[in-house]
Amino acid sequence: MDFANNPSFIRQGLSPGTRLAICVALSVALLVGDSQYGLMEYTRQGMSVLFYPLQRAINFPLVAARRIDDFLTTQSTLQAENEVLRRQQMILLSRVQRLESTERDFEALRTLNQLKSERSDAASLAEILYTGRDPFSYKIIVDKGQDSQLHPGQPVVDDRGLIGQITRVQPLTAEVTLITDKTLMVPVTIQRTGLRAILYGYGGGVEARYLPIHADVRPGDLMITSGIDGLYPEGIPVAFVTRVERNPDSAFIRVTSMPTAGVQKGRYVLVLKEKSNVPTRPTEPVVPAPKKGKTQPDDSTE
Amino acid sequence: MSFDRPKELLKPVRRRFIYLSFVLAILIDLLPLPVSTVLWLPDFIALLILYWVINQPRRVSVGTAFTLGIIADVASTGMFGQHALAYSITSYLALLRQRQLIMFNLGQQTLAVLALMLANQIIMVATRMATGSAFIGWSYFLPPLTGAILWPLLTKLLLLPYRSHKV
Repeated sequence: MDFANNPSFIRQGLSPGTRLAICVALSVALLVGDSQYGLMEYTRQGMSVLFYPLQRAINFPLVAARRIDDFLTTQSTLQAENEVLRRQQMILLSRVQRLESTERDFEALRTLNQLKSERSDAASLAEILYTGRDPFSYKIIVDKGQDSQLHPGQPVVDDRGLIGQITRVQPLTAEVTLITDKTLMVPVTIQRTGLRAILYGYGGGVEARYLPIHADVRPGDLMITSGIDGLYPEGIPVAFVTRVERNPDSAFIRVTSMPTAGVQKGRYVLVLKEKSNVPTRPTEPVVPAPKKGKTQPDDSTE
Repeated sequence: MSFDRPKELLKPVRRRFIYLSFVLAILIDLLPLPVSTVLWLPDFIALLILYWVINQPRRVSVGTAFTLGIIADVASTGMFGQHALAYSITSYLALLRQRQLIMFNLGQQTLAVLALMLANQIIMVATRMATGSAFIGWSYFLPPLTGAILWPLLTKLLLLPYRSHKV
C-alpha cells in the first residue's frame, strides 16, 4: 500500500475547490492584465533574466556539437568553400564599385534637392536563442537586449530579407515577432510596378490584402518595404508573390506570397536601425465636438 | 509490459524526486527544438502534474499546478495565465476522481489521461481565442494523444527508483 494515498485525518488547509477558485481567479486576473493592459512586462523581464543562464546551459550541448562539427571540417570542403567565396567576393566587389559611384551621384542629387530621409546601415548582429514554443504566435528570442541598446520597433533582417520586428526587449534578450505572425503588418511596394500594398501575416504565412481586382500583380513579383511608415527602411525584400487569384465575387484579389527570408530557419539575424529623420506628422485638424443625443450621419457611410 | 498496477511495496517518494522531475520537464520545454516538434511533442509538464496529482495528491495539488503553469507561461513566451489556468483546472478535475483513477489499471488510466490532456488543450485554445487569437487548427489536439501513449511508459519509469527490491 502506498500511504501517501490514504486520506489524512487532520484537516489540511483549504479544500481543493477553494484552491481552484483562488487559482482560477488569479490566472484570469493575470490573463486580463497581460492581454489588455500589458501589466506583466516587468515580471516577464525578471523571469527572462532568471531563465537566461538556464537557456544558455541547455543550448550548450548543441553549440558544442556545432563547434566540434566546425572544427572537424575536412580540408577539401574548406578549399571548395574558399573557392566559392572568392568568386562571390570578386562579383560583389565589382558591384560595390558600381554602387559607390551611383551612391555618390545619388547623394549629390539628394543634397541638391534638399531631401532629408536617408538610410543608415548601422546594424547589430544577434544570434537566435530559441523559438517560442507557443503555437499561437510566431516569435523568436535573440541573445541581445537592453545591453546592446535594442528597443522595440527595430526591424530585423537576415541575408535574404525582412524577418520581423523587435517587439519586446528584456535586459539580456529580445523578442522578435516574425512577419508571419497575425499581429504584424508590413507596408510594401511591388518592385516591378511600384504598387503599394500592406502585407499581413496570418500565422505561418503572409498575404497582401485589399488590392483592387484589376491591380497589376503577377506570380513571381518581389515585394519590398516601401519605407512610408517611418519604421522599415525602404528597399528590403520581404516576399515573393506565389499565386494571384481573381475571384469576381469579391472586390479584392487574393495574393498568396512567400517570405524571401528564412523566417523559420537560420542562426543569425541582423537588427537594423529604425528610419531616422522622419518629418513629424502634420497636426490633426480640430474636429468640432458632436452634439449629444444625435447620431452622426458620417459614421454610417464609412 | 503488463498493464496492471504494481502491487509490491514501494518506498516512500521523496519530495526531492518530485521537484527534480518537474525541473526536467521544464528543461525539455526550453530545449531549442525545431518548430515542427510543437505539432506532436506532448506537454511534459502537464503529464507530470497529472502523474503526481494522481499518485501523490497530498503533495502535488492545484497550487503546485498553478505555479508550474506560470513557469510554463514564461518559458513558452505565451500569455501570462494561459497555462496556469489550464493546469489548475485539469489538476482539479484529476483530483476530483483521484480515488478512482488510482485504482484503474494502466490502460484505463491512459484513457482518463487522454481525456484530461484534451481538456487541458481545450482550455488553452479557449483562453487564446477569448484574448483575440484565431483558431489554429485541429493539429493542436495531437500532442495529448502522444502524451497519453507515453503514459504507461512514464508510470513505469517514475516507479523505478521506488521499488523496494531489485526485480
